[in-house]
Amino acid sequence: MNILKKLKQIRHKEPGIREFCIQTIRFKKFLENARALLDLFEDGREKALGEYIFDRHYVVTLIDSVIERLGMMVYDGCVLVPESGEKLYTTYDTHKRTARNLIDFSGIVKKAVSPGDVTPETSKTVDQEYQLLSEALQWFNGKDAPLDSTVMAFMKQIFLKVIQGHGSSEVIKNRSLFENSCGKIPDMGIYLIDLWKDQLALPEGNSSINDFNSIPLNHLLMDAGGKDLKAHPNPDWIAAVGEYQLSLNSLRADFQFHLVTLATGDADADFIFIFADDAAILDTLLPPGFHTENTGYGQFAWNLGISEKTIEDSLMIIGRNLFN
Amino acid sequence: MSKQPLKIMLIDDENIVGKRLKPALEKTGDIVETFEEGEKALARFDETPFDIVVTDIRMENIDGIEILEQVLAKSGRTKVIIITGYATVEIAREALSKGAFDFIAKPFKPADLRGIIERASKELRSGFLHTT
Repeated sequence: MNILKKLKQIRHKEPGIREFCIQTIRFKKFLENARALLDLFEDGREKALGEYIFDRHYVVTLIDSVIERLGMMVYDGCVLVPESGEKLYTTYDTHKRTARNLIDFSGIVKKAVSPGDVTPETSKTVDQEYQLLSEALQWFNGKDAPLDSTVMAFMKQIFLKVIQGHGSSEVIKNRSLFENSCGKIPDMGIYLIDLWKDQLALPEGNSSINDFNSIPLNHLLMDAGGKDLKAHPNPDWIAAVGEYQLSLNSLRADFQFHLVTLATGDADADFIFIFADDAAILDTLLPPGFHTENTGYGQFAWNLGISEKTIEDSLMIIGRNLFN
Repeated sequence: MSKQPLKIMLIDDENIVGKRLKPALEKTGDIVETFEEGEKALARFDETPFDIVVTDIRMENIDGIEILEQVLAKSGRTKVIIITGYATVEIAREALSKGAFDFIAKPFKPADLRGIIERASKELRSGFLHTT
Protein backbone atom coordinates (compact mmCIF):
# COMPACT_ATOMS: atom_id res chain seq x y z
CA MET A 1 0.00 0.00 0.00
CA ASN A 2 1.48 3.38 -0.89
CA ILE A 3 1.83 6.17 1.61
CA LEU A 4 -1.04 8.25 0.19
CA LYS A 5 -3.49 5.39 0.62
CA LYS A 6 -2.12 4.81 4.10
CA LEU A 7 -2.46 8.45 5.05
CA LYS A 8 -6.11 8.36 4.03
CA GLN A 9 -6.57 5.61 6.60
CA ILE A 10 -5.64 7.80 9.55
CA ARG A 11 -8.89 8.07 11.41
CA HIS A 12 -7.97 10.75 13.90
CA LYS A 13 -10.33 13.69 13.55
CA GLU A 14 -8.44 16.22 15.71
CA PRO A 15 -6.31 18.29 13.27
CA GLY A 16 -3.27 18.53 15.60
CA ILE A 17 -3.18 14.79 16.24
CA ARG A 18 -3.74 14.10 12.57
CA GLU A 19 -0.83 16.39 11.68
CA PHE A 20 1.34 14.65 14.27
CA CYS A 21 0.51 11.23 12.78
CA ILE A 22 1.23 12.42 9.24
CA GLN A 23 4.62 13.80 10.31
CA THR A 24 5.43 10.57 12.13
CA ILE A 25 4.58 8.43 9.11
CA ARG A 26 6.47 10.74 6.76
CA PHE A 27 9.55 10.65 8.99
CA LYS A 28 9.52 6.86 8.95
CA LYS A 29 9.30 6.99 5.15
CA PHE A 30 12.23 9.43 5.16
CA LEU A 31 14.29 6.95 7.20
CA GLU A 32 13.34 4.08 4.89
CA ASN A 33 14.53 6.06 1.88
CA ALA A 34 17.81 6.88 3.65
CA ARG A 35 18.24 3.22 4.46
CA ALA A 36 17.58 2.25 0.83
CA LEU A 37 20.35 4.65 -0.21
CA LEU A 38 22.82 3.08 2.24
CA ASP A 39 21.87 -0.34 0.84
CA LEU A 40 22.59 0.91 -2.70
CA PHE A 41 26.01 2.23 -1.61
CA GLU A 42 26.77 -1.15 -0.04
CA ASP A 43 25.63 -3.01 -3.14
CA GLY A 44 28.00 -0.93 -5.29
CA ARG A 45 30.90 -1.42 -2.87
CA GLU A 46 30.35 -5.18 -2.88
CA LYS A 47 30.37 -5.33 -6.68
CA ALA A 48 33.52 -3.19 -6.86
CA LEU A 49 35.52 -5.77 -4.93
CA GLY A 50 36.03 -7.65 -8.19
CA GLU A 51 34.24 -10.93 -7.55
CA TYR A 52 31.18 -10.07 -9.59
CA ILE A 53 30.46 -10.02 -13.29
CA PHE A 54 28.52 -6.88 -14.14
CA ASP A 55 28.08 -4.59 -17.08
CA ARG A 56 27.62 -0.89 -17.68
CA HIS A 57 23.85 -1.31 -17.42
CA TYR A 58 24.23 -2.36 -13.78
CA VAL A 59 26.25 0.75 -12.88
CA VAL A 60 23.90 3.08 -14.76
CA THR A 61 20.92 1.49 -13.00
CA LEU A 62 22.69 1.88 -9.65
CA ILE A 63 23.35 5.59 -10.29
CA ASP A 64 19.77 6.14 -11.47
CA SER A 65 18.45 4.33 -8.39
CA VAL A 66 20.53 6.53 -6.10
CA ILE A 67 19.19 9.67 -7.77
CA GLU A 68 15.63 8.38 -7.57
CA ARG A 69 15.90 7.51 -3.86
CA LEU A 70 17.69 10.74 -3.09
CA GLY A 71 14.80 12.56 -4.75
CA MET A 72 12.34 10.71 -2.53
CA MET A 73 14.38 11.65 0.52
CA VAL A 74 14.47 15.30 -0.56
CA TYR A 75 10.71 15.21 -1.09
CA ASP A 76 10.18 13.76 2.40
CA GLY A 77 12.51 16.41 3.80
CA CYS A 78 10.52 19.15 2.10
CA VAL A 79 7.24 17.80 3.47
CA LEU A 80 8.70 17.70 6.99
CA VAL A 81 10.53 21.04 6.76
CA PRO A 82 8.88 23.01 3.94
CA GLU A 83 11.05 26.10 4.47
CA SER A 84 14.13 24.07 3.43
CA GLY A 85 12.59 23.03 0.13
CA GLU A 86 14.27 25.48 -2.21
CA LYS A 87 17.78 24.88 -0.89
CA LEU A 88 17.36 21.11 -0.84
CA TYR A 89 16.07 20.98 -4.39
CA THR A 90 18.88 23.24 -5.63
CA THR A 91 21.47 20.84 -4.18
CA TYR A 92 19.50 17.88 -5.49
CA ASP A 93 19.64 19.34 -9.01
CA THR A 94 23.43 19.58 -8.68
CA HIS A 95 23.58 15.89 -7.78
CA LYS A 96 21.35 15.01 -10.74
CA ARG A 97 23.80 16.82 -13.02
CA THR A 98 26.72 14.99 -11.42
CA ALA A 99 24.97 11.68 -12.04
CA ARG A 100 24.25 12.56 -15.66
CA ASN A 101 27.86 13.63 -16.23
CA LEU A 102 29.12 10.39 -14.74
CA ILE A 103 26.91 8.32 -17.02
CA ASP A 104 27.59 10.39 -20.13
CA PHE A 105 31.30 11.04 -19.79
CA SER A 106 32.92 8.36 -17.65
CA GLY A 107 35.18 6.27 -19.87
CA ILE A 108 34.85 8.77 -22.72
CA VAL A 109 36.70 11.65 -21.12
CA LYS A 110 39.37 9.43 -19.61
CA LYS A 111 41.02 10.50 -16.42
CA ALA A 112 44.70 9.84 -15.86
CA VAL A 113 44.80 6.41 -14.34
CA SER A 114 46.50 6.34 -11.00
CA PRO A 115 48.80 3.41 -10.13
CA GLY A 116 46.20 2.11 -7.71
CA ASP A 117 43.69 1.72 -10.54
CA VAL A 118 45.84 -0.64 -12.54
CA THR A 119 44.82 -4.26 -12.20
CA PRO A 120 47.13 -7.18 -13.00
CA GLU A 121 44.94 -8.79 -15.63
CA THR A 122 44.48 -5.62 -17.66
CA SER A 123 48.02 -4.40 -16.88
CA LYS A 124 47.34 -0.93 -18.35
CA THR A 125 43.97 0.47 -17.33
CA VAL A 126 40.83 -0.51 -15.51
CA ASP A 127 37.75 -1.55 -17.47
CA GLN A 128 35.36 1.29 -18.23
CA GLU A 129 32.59 -0.34 -16.20
CA TYR A 130 34.85 -0.57 -13.14
CA GLN A 131 36.03 2.98 -13.73
CA LEU A 132 32.42 4.19 -13.82
CA LEU A 133 31.56 2.24 -10.67
CA SER A 134 34.65 3.57 -8.91
CA GLU A 135 33.69 7.16 -9.79
CA ALA A 136 30.09 6.53 -8.75
CA LEU A 137 31.25 5.20 -5.37
CA GLN A 138 33.40 8.30 -4.90
CA TRP A 139 30.34 10.41 -5.57
CA PHE A 140 28.17 8.32 -3.22
CA ASN A 141 30.43 8.37 -0.22
CA GLY A 142 34.09 8.66 -1.25
CA LYS A 143 36.69 9.63 1.30
CA ASP A 144 38.73 11.37 -1.41
CA ALA A 145 35.78 13.33 -2.81
CA PRO A 146 35.69 17.09 -2.22
CA LEU A 147 34.00 18.09 1.01
CA ASP A 148 30.19 18.25 0.80
CA SER A 149 30.14 16.95 -2.78
CA THR A 150 29.02 13.43 -1.93
CA VAL A 151 25.52 12.04 -1.72
CA MET A 152 26.27 11.02 1.87
CA ALA A 153 27.19 14.58 2.79
CA PHE A 154 23.92 15.77 1.27
CA MET A 155 22.00 13.08 3.16
CA LYS A 156 23.52 14.33 6.42
CA GLN A 157 22.55 17.87 5.48
CA ILE A 158 18.93 16.79 4.89
CA PHE A 159 18.93 14.83 8.13
CA LEU A 160 20.07 17.84 10.09
CA LYS A 161 17.44 20.07 8.55
CA VAL A 162 14.72 17.53 9.24
CA ILE A 163 15.85 16.91 12.82
CA GLN A 164 16.17 20.62 13.54
CA GLY A 165 12.72 21.19 12.04
CA HIS A 166 11.38 18.26 14.05
CA GLY A 167 12.83 19.70 17.26
CA SER A 168 11.17 23.03 16.72
CA SER A 169 7.88 21.59 15.49
CA GLU A 170 4.96 23.04 17.40
CA VAL A 171 2.99 19.85 16.94
CA ILE A 172 5.62 17.61 18.56
CA LYS A 173 6.03 19.81 21.65
CA ASN A 174 2.34 20.57 22.13
CA ARG A 175 1.63 18.99 25.51
CA SER A 176 -1.93 20.26 25.76
CA LEU A 177 -2.76 18.63 22.43
CA PHE A 178 -1.73 15.22 23.74
CA GLU A 179 -3.17 15.84 27.19
CA ASN A 180 -6.57 16.54 25.70
CA SER A 181 -6.36 13.52 23.47
CA CYS A 182 -4.73 10.97 25.78
CA GLY A 183 -5.73 11.96 29.31
CA LYS A 184 -3.83 13.91 31.93
CA ILE A 185 -1.87 11.18 33.70
CA PRO A 186 -0.59 8.50 31.33
CA ASP A 187 1.33 5.37 32.31
CA MET A 188 5.12 5.85 32.56
CA GLY A 189 4.73 9.49 31.64
CA ILE A 190 4.21 8.53 28.00
CA TYR A 191 1.29 9.91 26.05
CA LEU A 192 0.25 7.31 23.51
CA ILE A 193 -1.22 7.90 20.08
CA ASP A 194 -2.46 4.99 18.04
CA LEU A 195 -1.11 5.95 14.60
CA TRP A 196 -3.93 4.47 12.59
CA LYS A 197 -6.59 4.43 15.27
CA ASP A 198 -7.87 1.12 13.99
CA GLN A 199 -7.36 -2.29 15.56
CA LEU A 200 -5.38 -0.78 18.43
CA ALA A 201 -8.05 1.77 19.24
CA LEU A 202 -8.96 1.94 22.88
CA PRO A 203 -12.23 2.73 24.56
CA GLU A 204 -12.55 6.38 25.55
CA GLY A 205 -10.68 7.24 28.73
CA ASN A 206 -8.54 4.11 28.77
CA SER A 207 -4.88 4.73 28.05
CA SER A 208 -2.99 1.87 29.69
CA ILE A 209 0.19 1.02 27.82
CA ASN A 210 -0.52 -2.68 28.33
CA ASP A 211 -3.66 -2.39 26.24
CA PHE A 212 -1.73 -1.34 23.14
CA ASN A 213 -0.82 -4.21 20.89
CA SER A 214 2.48 -2.73 19.70
CA ILE A 215 5.43 -5.10 19.46
CA PRO A 216 8.24 -2.50 19.66
CA LEU A 217 6.50 -0.63 22.50
CA ASN A 218 6.18 -3.86 24.45
CA HIS A 219 9.88 -4.60 23.89
CA LEU A 220 10.87 -1.09 24.97
CA LEU A 221 8.96 -1.32 28.24
CA MET A 222 9.57 -5.00 28.96
CA ASP A 223 12.33 -4.28 31.43
CA ALA A 224 11.20 -0.82 32.40
CA GLY A 225 8.17 -1.44 34.52
CA GLY A 226 6.61 -4.40 32.75
CA LYS A 227 3.11 -5.10 34.01
CA ASP A 228 3.51 -2.80 37.00
CA LEU A 229 3.26 0.39 35.03
CA LYS A 230 2.55 3.42 37.09
CA ALA A 231 0.75 6.57 36.14
CA HIS A 232 3.20 9.44 35.94
CA PRO A 233 2.15 12.94 36.96
CA ASN A 234 4.70 14.71 34.73
CA PRO A 235 4.57 13.20 31.26
CA ASP A 236 7.76 13.79 29.30
CA TRP A 237 7.12 11.59 26.29
CA ILE A 238 4.83 11.19 23.33
CA ALA A 239 4.80 7.87 21.51
CA ALA A 240 3.05 7.14 18.23
CA VAL A 241 2.51 3.43 17.85
CA GLY A 242 1.36 0.86 15.35
CA GLU A 243 1.48 -2.89 15.67
CA TYR A 244 5.06 -3.01 14.34
CA GLN A 245 6.07 0.63 14.60
CA LEU A 246 7.06 2.96 17.39
CA SER A 247 8.03 6.62 17.29
CA LEU A 248 9.04 8.01 20.69
CA ASN A 249 9.68 11.73 21.21
CA SER A 250 10.70 13.81 24.17
CA LEU A 251 8.27 16.56 25.13
CA ARG A 252 10.80 18.46 27.19
CA ALA A 253 11.86 21.80 25.79
CA ASP A 254 15.45 21.29 26.99
CA PHE A 255 15.94 17.78 25.61
CA GLN A 256 15.41 16.61 22.06
CA PHE A 257 15.17 12.86 21.74
CA HIS A 258 13.67 10.91 18.89
CA LEU A 259 13.49 7.15 18.52
CA VAL A 260 11.92 5.41 15.52
CA THR A 261 11.80 1.68 15.14
CA LEU A 262 10.18 -0.92 12.97
CA ALA A 263 9.93 -4.47 14.35
CA THR A 264 8.14 -6.66 11.85
CA GLY A 265 10.40 -9.70 12.26
CA ASP A 266 11.85 -9.15 8.78
CA ALA A 267 15.53 -8.31 9.33
CA ASP A 268 15.78 -6.68 5.90
CA ALA A 269 13.15 -4.12 6.86
CA ASP A 270 13.59 -3.67 10.61
CA PHE A 271 15.66 -0.91 12.14
CA ILE A 272 16.18 1.32 15.14
CA PHE A 273 17.01 4.99 14.65
CA ILE A 274 17.73 7.42 17.48
CA PHE A 275 18.60 11.08 17.64
CA ALA A 276 19.54 12.92 20.84
CA ASP A 277 20.74 16.50 21.05
CA ASP A 278 22.87 15.41 24.01
CA ALA A 279 25.47 12.94 22.75
CA ALA A 280 26.29 11.84 26.30
CA ILE A 281 22.80 10.36 26.61
CA LEU A 282 23.33 8.00 23.70
CA ASP A 283 26.71 6.91 25.06
CA THR A 284 25.00 5.47 28.11
CA LEU A 285 21.81 4.37 26.40
CA LEU A 286 22.87 2.20 23.50
CA PRO A 287 23.65 -1.50 23.41
CA PRO A 288 26.55 -2.60 21.15
CA GLY A 289 26.08 -2.77 17.38
CA PHE A 290 24.86 0.74 16.67
CA HIS A 291 26.43 3.02 14.10
CA THR A 292 26.76 6.51 15.53
CA GLU A 293 27.33 9.84 13.83
CA ASN A 294 28.15 13.02 15.72
CA THR A 295 27.12 16.42 14.46
CA GLY A 296 27.34 19.88 15.95
CA TYR A 297 23.64 19.59 16.69
CA GLY A 298 23.57 16.20 18.38
CA GLN A 299 24.16 12.53 17.77
CA PHE A 300 22.47 10.10 15.40
CA ALA A 301 22.53 6.36 15.99
CA TRP A 302 21.11 3.54 13.96
CA ASN A 303 21.13 -0.19 13.62
CA LEU A 304 19.87 -1.70 10.36
CA GLY A 305 19.15 -5.19 9.17
CA ILE A 306 18.73 -6.59 12.65
CA SER A 307 17.19 -9.90 13.67
CA GLU A 308 13.99 -10.18 15.67
CA LYS A 309 15.97 -11.22 18.75
CA THR A 310 18.45 -8.36 18.46
CA ILE A 311 15.74 -5.77 18.03
CA GLU A 312 13.91 -7.14 21.07
CA ASP A 313 17.08 -7.13 23.20
CA SER A 314 18.16 -3.69 21.98
CA LEU A 315 14.79 -2.07 22.67
CA MET A 316 14.66 -3.69 26.09
CA ILE A 317 18.08 -2.28 27.01
CA ILE A 318 17.25 1.16 25.61
CA GLY A 319 13.93 1.20 27.49
CA ARG A 320 15.59 0.14 30.74
CA ASN A 321 18.31 2.79 30.42
CA LEU A 322 15.82 5.44 29.40
CA PHE A 323 13.09 4.93 31.96
CA ASN A 324 14.73 3.36 35.03
CA MET B 1 38.52 -41.58 -15.94
CA SER B 2 38.94 -37.85 -16.52
CA LYS B 3 35.99 -35.84 -17.74
CA GLN B 4 35.98 -34.52 -21.28
CA PRO B 5 36.27 -30.71 -21.26
CA LEU B 6 33.03 -28.93 -22.04
CA LYS B 7 32.79 -26.65 -25.06
CA ILE B 8 31.17 -23.47 -23.85
CA MET B 9 30.00 -20.61 -26.05
CA LEU B 10 29.62 -17.27 -24.28
CA ILE B 11 27.62 -14.48 -25.98
CA ASP B 12 27.27 -10.98 -24.54
CA ASP B 13 27.44 -7.68 -26.35
CA GLU B 14 29.09 -6.10 -23.29
CA ASN B 15 32.76 -6.82 -23.83
CA ILE B 16 33.55 -6.93 -20.12
CA VAL B 17 31.36 -9.98 -19.51
CA GLY B 18 33.29 -12.24 -21.88
CA LYS B 19 36.58 -10.72 -20.85
CA ARG B 20 36.02 -11.47 -17.16
CA LEU B 21 34.09 -14.73 -17.48
CA LYS B 22 36.31 -16.54 -19.97
CA PRO B 23 39.35 -16.93 -17.68
CA ALA B 24 37.11 -17.79 -14.75
CA LEU B 25 35.37 -20.61 -16.64
CA GLU B 26 38.56 -21.89 -18.23
CA LYS B 27 40.08 -22.56 -14.80
CA THR B 28 38.34 -25.94 -14.69
CA GLY B 29 39.77 -26.96 -18.06
CA ASP B 30 36.72 -26.26 -20.20
CA ILE B 31 37.02 -24.67 -23.64
CA VAL B 32 35.39 -21.25 -23.81
CA GLU B 33 34.78 -19.11 -26.89
CA THR B 34 33.35 -15.62 -26.47
CA PHE B 35 31.25 -13.57 -28.90
CA GLU B 36 29.82 -10.07 -28.77
CA GLU B 37 27.48 -10.53 -31.74
CA GLY B 38 24.78 -13.17 -32.02
CA GLU B 39 25.19 -13.58 -35.78
CA LYS B 40 28.87 -14.49 -35.47
CA ALA B 41 28.11 -16.84 -32.61
CA LEU B 42 25.44 -18.68 -34.61
CA ALA B 43 27.75 -18.91 -37.62
CA ARG B 44 30.40 -20.44 -35.38
CA PHE B 45 27.83 -22.86 -33.96
CA ASP B 46 27.15 -24.05 -37.52
CA GLU B 47 30.83 -24.89 -37.87
CA THR B 48 31.09 -26.74 -34.57
CA PRO B 49 28.44 -27.50 -31.97
CA PHE B 50 28.88 -26.51 -28.33
CA ASP B 51 27.80 -28.37 -25.21
CA ILE B 52 26.72 -25.24 -23.44
CA VAL B 53 25.70 -21.80 -24.69
CA VAL B 54 25.62 -18.94 -22.19
CA THR B 55 23.92 -15.92 -23.72
CA ASP B 56 22.81 -12.49 -22.59
CA ILE B 57 19.15 -11.93 -23.18
CA ARG B 58 19.21 -8.31 -24.35
CA MET B 59 21.42 -7.69 -27.35
CA GLU B 60 21.12 -5.72 -30.53
CA ASN B 61 20.13 -7.47 -33.78
CA ILE B 62 19.68 -10.97 -32.34
CA ASP B 63 18.49 -11.25 -28.75
CA GLY B 64 18.98 -14.12 -26.33
CA ILE B 65 15.58 -15.68 -27.00
CA GLU B 66 16.35 -15.94 -30.72
CA ILE B 67 19.78 -17.41 -29.94
CA LEU B 68 18.04 -19.95 -27.71
CA GLU B 69 15.54 -20.94 -30.40
CA GLN B 70 18.14 -21.23 -33.13
CA VAL B 71 20.64 -23.16 -31.00
CA LEU B 72 18.00 -25.67 -29.86
CA ALA B 73 16.82 -26.06 -33.46
CA LYS B 74 20.40 -26.85 -34.51
CA SER B 75 21.30 -29.05 -31.54
CA GLY B 76 18.65 -30.35 -29.14
CA ARG B 77 21.26 -31.64 -26.68
CA THR B 78 22.94 -28.25 -26.12
CA LYS B 79 22.13 -26.60 -22.81
CA VAL B 80 21.38 -22.89 -23.09
CA ILE B 81 21.85 -20.69 -20.03
CA ILE B 82 20.40 -17.20 -20.15
CA ILE B 83 22.05 -14.16 -18.55
CA THR B 84 19.47 -11.58 -17.60
CA GLY B 85 19.90 -8.00 -16.60
CA TYR B 86 18.00 -5.94 -14.11
CA ALA B 87 14.21 -6.21 -14.49
CA THR B 88 14.27 -8.85 -17.19
CA VAL B 89 13.28 -11.79 -15.00
CA GLU B 90 9.91 -12.07 -16.79
CA ILE B 91 11.72 -12.55 -20.09
CA ALA B 92 13.95 -15.12 -18.41
CA ARG B 93 10.84 -17.08 -17.43
CA GLU B 94 9.76 -16.95 -21.06
CA ALA B 95 13.17 -18.35 -21.99
CA LEU B 96 12.72 -21.24 -19.56
CA SER B 97 9.35 -22.05 -21.12
CA LYS B 98 11.10 -22.16 -24.50
CA GLY B 99 13.66 -24.70 -23.36
CA ALA B 100 16.46 -22.73 -21.66
CA PHE B 101 18.26 -24.82 -19.06
CA ASP B 102 18.41 -22.04 -16.46
CA PHE B 103 19.03 -18.34 -16.08
CA ILE B 104 21.26 -16.14 -13.98
CA ALA B 105 20.80 -12.45 -13.22
CA LYS B 106 23.57 -9.88 -13.56
CA PRO B 107 25.51 -8.98 -11.47
CA PHE B 108 26.60 -12.49 -10.51
CA LYS B 109 29.69 -14.33 -9.31
CA PRO B 110 31.43 -16.66 -11.77
CA ALA B 111 31.08 -19.42 -9.15
CA ASP B 112 27.27 -19.08 -9.38
CA LEU B 113 27.39 -19.60 -13.13
CA ARG B 114 29.85 -22.44 -12.64
CA GLY B 115 27.24 -24.15 -10.42
CA ILE B 116 24.65 -23.99 -13.20
CA ILE B 117 27.17 -25.22 -15.75
CA GLU B 118 28.00 -28.20 -13.54
CA ARG B 119 24.32 -29.12 -13.32
CA ALA B 120 24.02 -28.79 -17.08
CA SER B 121 27.13 -30.91 -17.48
CA LYS B 122 25.63 -33.69 -15.34
CA GLU B 123 22.50 -33.71 -17.48
CA LEU B 124 24.59 -33.81 -20.64
CA ARG B 125 26.58 -36.77 -19.37
CA SER B 126 23.49 -38.62 -18.15
CA GLY B 127 21.83 -37.97 -21.55
CA PHE B 128 24.95 -39.29 -23.24
CA LEU B 129 24.84 -42.49 -21.15
CA HIS B 130 21.15 -42.98 -21.92
CA THR B 131 21.66 -42.69 -25.64
CA THR B 132 24.67 -45.02 -25.87
